[in-house]
Amino acid sequence: MAEAPTLKRAKRKSRDPLWLRILPFASVVMFLGIWELVVRVREVPPIILPAPSAIASYLVSMITDGSLPYHLAVTFLRIVAGFIVASVFGIVLGVFMGMSRIVSRVLDPWIAALYPLPKISLIPLLIIWLGTGEAYILTISAITAFFPVLISTYAGIRQADQGLVRAARDLGANERQVQMKVIIPAAIPSIFAGLQLGMGVTIILVVAAEMIGGSNQSGMGYLLIRFGQVMETEKVFAALIVLAVFGGVIIKTQERIDRWIAPWAARK
Amino acid sequence: MDIFVDDLVQVWDDGGDGILALDGITHHFGSSKLTCLLGPSGCGKSTLIQIIGGIERATRGTIRIVDPAAPDAPSARPGERSVMMWQNLNLFPWRNVIDNVAFGLEMAGVPRQRRYARARELIASVGLKHFEEKQCSQLSGGMRQRVALARALIMDQPILLMDEPFAALDAQTKIVMQEELTRIFEQTRKTILFVTHAIDEAILLGDEVVVMTARPGRIKEVIKIDLPRPRSQELINSPEFGELYDRILHLIREEVLNAMRQQNEVAD
Repeated sequence: MAEAPTLKRAKRKSRDPLWLRILPFASVVMFLGIWELVVRVREVPPIILPAPSAIASYLVSMITDGSLPYHLAVTFLRIVAGFIVASVFGIVLGVFMGMSRIVSRVLDPWIAALYPLPKISLIPLLIIWLGTGEAYILTISAITAFFPVLISTYAGIRQADQGLVRAARDLGANERQVQMKVIIPAAIPSIFAGLQLGMGVTIILVVAAEMIGGSNQSGMGYLLIRFGQVMETEKVFAALIVLAVFGGVIIKTQERIDRWIAPWAARK
Repeated sequence: MDIFVDDLVQVWDDGGDGILALDGITHHFGSSKLTCLLGPSGCGKSTLIQIIGGIERATRGTIRIVDPAAPDAPSARPGERSVMMWQNLNLFPWRNVIDNVAFGLEMAGVPRQRRYARARELIASVGLKHFEEKQCSQLSGGMRQRVALARALIMDQPILLMDEPFAALDAQTKIVMQEELTRIFEQTRKTILFVTHAIDEAILLGDEVVVMTARPGRIKEVIKIDLPRPRSQELINSPEFGELYDRILHLIREEVLNAMRQQNEVAD
């Protein structure tokens, strides 16, 4: 019984022939190779398109001098802060909305009005109110991530399997127990889906806010804008690569954590 | 427990005149008997046991649930002395086997150690020893049935309501589960109402088979099954079984044809 999943995984791997498995790597290597070749043969100016090898050497030097790790860490902390604020508010309010018709009626017009609004359009207003410091970055990213979390939580609570609810009542659960022991666990797959969407937009909004007005002169967004303005294209590329890898790692880690906390949800 | 159902009517709201699902059901379900409810799909047999189990409310009619040992005591509320085993089981996917089985005791506030001890006994009694910690999604169909059965039995209610619990099982597993149920019934002498659409299952399990008409559900005929207990699958080859089968098949065929005619009329 216990070895069934590993068996399955092993089977899936061995079914694909070797050449098929290395194809993703080959695709990347090929692309980089052609890029390098074109830049060298056509002598493209590095300001327009630097060669991958040049980008790599800049990347290494930016990592070793500590500037990239620093700015990445700052951005990471801002993302975590925004995401946590958005998650706590989104989940708590979503649960209340799902459980109470009064709360959902009160909040409904606000959500209907604010959800479709591109949150990035709030930046001018937030800068007027909060200035360009950490509070502004936190607020813009948290507001953006809040809505997908709230709406997914609300939907998960509303769509909890009524069969399970009836079964729980039949087994003697009272209303509070039904809510805590059935409806909330049943909503967890949906809540996690909302958290994943929320994380995606938090990353986007933190970097965007660092680009527009971040007065602390830190973070990956700030770095990108600065390098762009002085046309250090190699460094722009290096920062972009770091940001892409970083985003991927965060999203994958989150999926891992979700699967670990709620393994039943992944199978659905 | 004796269950007296008197002139039960159920009308489903469809925005118009309503759909008559049950039309004047009157029957005495004998205490410590296993009664099978048999009828074409959509005849309201599930609705009937859900009303008896206090899960649905009837539009009209009365249900009295009384202990034959204390005939003057007031009637129990529907659901108060019964527990349901559901057609789709309704196991909680985020709970492992033992926490599913112990759910009812947990809701009643039984301390962990005591409820686990009791749950272990029941898990062993349905043949699932050593599967306590497994997730339900890791179990086969037949094993999930056993979990659902144990979860119902732990409630220690005198009435067990079963809504086509074995309908989705393969033929071999079904035979094993029928024997399991027969054994439990013969040992505990609970009052069992068993909904099915399989004639052989109804004869094999039941002390009495209540044949219902196509929509609206009425009782067409009540057939006593006087085959000796303990019963086993070999019974199917006996001439008495064959006679009962033919008789019920004849009744059911009329009703299935009726149901099909109704559907065609709706389609036209």
